[in-house]
Amino acid sequence: MNSSRDSLSNFLRGWRVTPPSDSNFRAAVWQRIRKRPDVSWPAYLRSHAVIWSTVAVLALVAAGYSGSALARAHVRADRDAIVITYLVDLDPRVQAALKP
Amino acid sequence: MKYLFGTLALVVLVAALTGVVCFRMNSNPQLHAAAAKGDALQWLRTDFHLTDAQFAAIRQLHESYAGTCEEHCRMIQEATRARDALAAARGDAAALSAANRELAELRQNCETAIARHVRQVAALMAADDGRRYLALVLPKIAAFDHRAAPDLRLNHTR
Repeated sequence: MNSSRDSLSNFLRGWRVTPPSDSNFRAAVWQRIRKRPDVSWPAYLRSHAVIWSTVAVLALVAAGYSGSALARAHVRADRDAIVITYLVDLDPRVQAALKP
Repeated sequence: MKYLFGTLALVVLVAALTGVVCFRMNSNPQLHAAAAKGDALQWLRTDFHLTDAQFAAIRQLHESYAGTCEEHCRMIQEATRARDALAAARGDAAALSAANRELAELRQNCETAIARHVRQVAALMAADDGRRYLALVLPKIAAFDHRAAPDLRLNHTR
């Protein structure tokens, strides 16, 4: 038992590893680190379909609602303004108050 | 990361386009032009879908009403001046009260005349448009504060 351990120890003591030198080793490691998986835009979208669909639907609904609401507010303001003009033209009581 | 920002930009762009399309679909350029020009007859034409014949008839009605309006305006101004003179003199209370009554009566007659006129205008429109016109105009006539210049909210009350 002891003799086999001694022989292993002797063997390991005398063992020398001499790997072939690779001058490109560091560069190759960095290249592998920097390298990204080659994913296309459609593939990206497919892999995030749920989140992007939700975002898109919410954004479109919000934008559509805002656009419509803004337009309706403009229409209301225009109508209020023109109704006043119309009534001032029609109403002698207002004209009497406005005229000097 | 570039796909994240690219997708986000695309969503924002499409949403903005949707907003613009919805804005345009819900806006009323003819009404806006009429309001910007202060052209009430043009407003009537576009907002109440008047045909050429209806428009001509309403224009004629307005022109004939203008004389009545002018006369009422003159009478109210005279009555107001007379009432103010009496109030300034602090004299006869009965005369002042009578002047106030006369002024109130003139205003009431005037309101009746306007209401009659707008009903005549409404009668020249299509039934639905006429109803909508009356619903828009009649409450505002009744709510006008006739002693102050009106504002856009018409929130002066008697």
